[in-house]
Amino acid sequence: MSGVCREVVTLQLGHYSNFVGTHWWNLQDASLCYEPDSPPGDLQSDVLFREGVTLGGQVTYTPRLIAMDLKGSLHTLRQDGSLYESGKDSGALTWYVWTPSVNIAATVHVAGGWRGIYAVTMETVNRSLERAQKMYKLEGSVRVWSDFLRLHLHPRTISVINQYNHDGESHRLEAFSQGEALCQGSVVEELEDRLHFFVEECDYLQGFQVFCDLTDGFSGLGSRVTELLRDSYGGRGILTWGLAPINHPDSTSVKEVYRLLNHALGTVQMANHSSFFCPLTLRGGLGLRPTSPVSFNHVNYDSTLWYHSSALLALALDTMTVSYRLRSHSTPMWQLADALTVSGRKVVAAYGAIPFPMMHGSCLPDALNVYADALPWKPLSACPELDGGRCFGQSVTFRGFEGQNLVSPPIPGSPPPTSLHSLQSGEEVLAAYISSHYPSSPMALQLVSGPSKLTPPFPQIFSQSLGSQGFLQSQYPPLGSTPAVSSLPVLTSLQSSTALGPWLAGTQKMASALDPRRVAPSFLSNGLEISDLQEAMEQLKSLAFCYRDDSSGILRSSSDEDDDD
Amino acid sequence: QYFLYILHIKTLPRHVVFCVCGVMAAVKALNPKAEVARAQAALAVNISAARGLQDVLRTNLGPKGTLKMLVSGAGDIKLTKDGNVLLHEMQIQHPTASLIAKVATAQDDITGDGTTSNVLIIGELLKQADLYVSEGLHPRIIAEGFDAAKDKALEVLEEVKITKEMDRETLVNVARTSLRTKVHNELADLLTEAVVDAVLAIHKTGEPIDLYMVEIMEMKHKTDTDTVLIQGLVLDHGARHPDMKKRVEDAYILTCNVSLEYEKTEVTSGFFYKSAEERDKLVKAERKFIEERVIKIIDLKNKVCGDSSKSFVVINQKGIDPFSLDALAKEGIVALRRAKRRNMERLTLACGGVAMNSVEDLTPECLGHAGLVYEHTLGEEKYTFIEKCGNPRSVTLLLKGPNKHTLTQIKDAVRDGLRAVKNAIEDGSVVPGAGAFEVAVHDALVKHKPKVKGRAQLGVQAFADALLVIPKVLAQNSGYDPQETLVKLQTEYQESGQQIGVDLNSGEPLVAAEAGVWDNYSVKKQLLHSCTVIASNILLVDEIMRAGMSSLKG
Repeated sequence: MSGVCREVVTLQLGHYSNFVGTHWWNLQDASLCYEPDSPPGDLQSDVLFREGVTLGGQVTYTPRLIAMDLKGSLHTLRQDGSLYESGKDSGALTWYVWTPSVNIAATVHVAGGWRGIYAVTMETVNRSLERAQKMYKLEGSVRVWSDFLRLHLHPRTISVINQYNHDGESHRLEAFSQGEALCQGSVVEELEDRLHFFVEECDYLQGFQVFCDLTDGFSGLGSRVTELLRDSYGGRGILTWGLAPINHPDSTSVKEVYRLLNHALGTVQMANHSSFFCPLTLRGGLGLRPTSPVSFNHVNYDSTLWYHSSALLALALDTMTVSYRLRSHSTPMWQLADALTVSGRKVVAAYGAIPFPMMHGSCLPDALNVYADALPWKPLSACPELDGGRCFGQSVTFRGFEGQNLVSPPIPGSPPPTSLHSLQSGEEVLAAYISSHYPSSPMALQLVSGPSKLTPPFPQIFSQSLGSQGFLQSQYPPLGSTPAVSSLPVLTSLQSSTALGPWLAGTQKMASALDPRRVAPSFLSNGLEISDLQEAMEQLKSLAFCYRDDSSGILRSSSDEDDDD
Repeated sequence: QYFLYILHIKTLPRHVVFCVCGVMAAVKALNPKAEVARAQAALAVNISAARGLQDVLRTNLGPKGTLKMLVSGAGDIKLTKDGNVLLHEMQIQHPTASLIAKVATAQDDITGDGTTSNVLIIGELLKQADLYVSEGLHPRIIAEGFDAAKDKALEVLEEVKITKEMDRETLVNVARTSLRTKVHNELADLLTEAVVDAVLAIHKTGEPIDLYMVEIMEMKHKTDTDTVLIQGLVLDHGARHPDMKKRVEDAYILTCNVSLEYEKTEVTSGFFYKSAEERDKLVKAERKFIEERVIKIIDLKNKVCGDSSKSFVVINQKGIDPFSLDALAKEGIVALRRAKRRNMERLTLACGGVAMNSVEDLTPECLGHAGLVYEHTLGEEKYTFIEKCGNPRSVTLLLKGPNKHTLTQIKDAVRDGLRAVKNAIEDGSVVPGAGAFEVAVHDALVKHKPKVKGRAQLGVQAFADALLVIPKVLAQNSGYDPQETLVKLQTEYQESGQQIGVDLNSGEPLVAAEAGVWDNYSVKKQLLHSCTVIASNILLVDEIMRAGMSSLKG
């Protein structure tokens, strides 16, 4: 049954998740191909998208997606989308008339422009894609995720939670227990209806990917939602990504305490209910005093902008999730999860090299040789690798080497400079390289030549040394004529390693050190008792204990605990 | 020096604290950044918030109330006059206003009606109280008066309520009174019949009513007056095989929760070193398992249907993959997969039979029956109607409307209508509506006033006057002069001794009971309780403190 399409349903819970999700869907949209006779790519878009038909009989192609956000977060996006409008009566005129202020009108214009461009028939899609190649500077105008959403969504996709406000002073969804309490009555019924709609039509559903905000009340909602998924669709993969932005616009120390507790509780609960749970953030750490945000070579992003950081995370996700989206020889979600979560190690950490630095025209062994001492990737889960740590399993994906050599071309007469240069296939080269860092750890490799295509509104945040295909160039182009980077080679790794032990233990220690009754009394509302919190901390502790390294006989988790604070 | 917190909104990041007594210096010492409003100013802030909210909602009260149009940032439009919907949709930023909104929507959660009245009465109580406070009366005295008045009002409620057998006609009247305040009259009358019949269908004497057993299904189709009550179930999905019939009659229904698709194997399969052949082998073994389940179902079908013209429908909560669908279709079985969990219970109530969790013990007794099963397709949406069930104990209200906002409007109305009927049956009594109850209470309170000691009399008077806001606004919204109408009502009430309400079509007094205008007893009771409590609380606030930004240790 390798030829069938194994469908995936995506859930986005929370505003930052929707930021990442929007970038992710923009990337998916950019890689769709409208030419009928071009060869199919490596990835099967039907895994993520569904074909539908409007009441008027027009065919649509929309994400199989449920996105939840709070009241007031949509701005100019219509909850039902405009794809399934019955008539043409709702002209743009009323839209502008009702725009309350000039300030917002500017945003409307940008967003409207985007949707305007893509609200065209199939024939002109490619034309408008070309037109869209020109540069946009959206940094100043993006306030919510719908401001840079490129594609149309199905009317059943967006679900607004009316009980809490997106911004303002009152009714904010800030505590774990608030999110948990949300998941009942009409909210859960609506969610079940939406899930039912997307799931019922799937012939070979392989599972769910859940993007969930980890630091606000959505972590509580997410833990309930994953529980619901597990109960209703047992045997499917549930891959949960806990997302956290680098900074929040209005931060106070009380809120930081909330975030830490949400993060700790969310990690325990979601890891419990999911096939695997992977925190994903560019923050230096998820504690109260994080170090500076993760920086990548050749990328200059503004860490205060959600628009930028979410773009990088989406790019990493687009690579990490390749294995279950392949057109042929794909490994279903549950296999990926089973392999990484042996003996209760449900939390995995992500690492990524964005971009993977590779000289234009060079080969993979050359590029890897530069990183003979240290791995090229940076932590994407705020969990730095340990020196000499052990890896229980990892899934490495390298994507976007189109046009580059994976093996070293033999130079007649001279011996290969390193052992990497003598290997015969890209898989072998990468495997040999990684096992030199993680000897004897099980590993799955995935090499995909087609890159993620970066089209506007993906921010241009790359250094001048990158060419338009994302490879390093030997000489800088003359100033001012930098070509836009349109694709990027990315190397990612999902790992279950000993580094997670101290990381989880550190979170547990920090969260346990707080007494919410004193510092944040209102965190304990909606039925959350101090004993529940303590129980969750115990669970977190035993989860951390799963990651200790047995082979050397030393309990690493206890000796390294202080590394993370 | 101590604080007594009477209200502490826990979910707020910046705590808004209402103090009954406190010393400002102490507040400042605790948190130098706190904003503080004191005594008169605090009361003024709260009263203006309450009255602001009242002004927003007052035009929406009653069947003749006007509509509000809510426009989202993207231009989505919602037209409504349902107070509950309005309060949920509006972004209320003022803490006092949002507190009142919460109380009012809680009223709706409990009883299903009375949101607008709630806001109006709270606003009016504070307005009346303000008159006396500005003349130097201490708020505490007024609050005591409110309390005394509330107790008396509840006594009056017990007196005027009419306990009788809840026949269909009374229920229709109750439902109509509630629904006419939400949607236009023609539609209200149509929905009235539908909701009453729905509740009567699922009601069994002596058992609590579970409104969950009334499924509400929306269909973007035709017009709002095509909304119907289906004596059976409507599912919003259809069979997923081209060869399955779109319409069958006289059908056995098998409700089950059995996986008929290939899933992950329980054996932890290696991923790192697995070859494709090994995997295929595993898959084959798993498939065989599922084929056996399908064969068991087919056997049962052949057993009960034989050569007769009866048909067989399988409704499964779990998935059915294309191979299994194919096998079932070949045998002429109609199969629906992934039915919603909540519909499984409804299915057995509607058609009879038992929901099966395994195919091992299938017997003909587990099967339900329906006279007609057919599919209806609208665009990409499919609907399966399961009708003509003998004596269904779960029914479906099929809402139709040309667009989304009409559908939501009907849905909100139907929800309230169902609960009004349920309340009436459970209370076993009803209260005359159209402002009649308020007029009666006012009269009783005015007579009661001399029996109250001291200045608290003024509080009783304020309470009595405040309740009159309901008949006044009812008259006003219909285009009549509120004072003139009110005087007429009171005169008529004095003379006739009957429960007199406003006739919204003429502005003249009418006997509420004869006109069939009935309100829920539980709604009125809840209203008296919650309004008094929240109005007294707000009245007794003499200081508002808003926490500053750095309040970690505060």
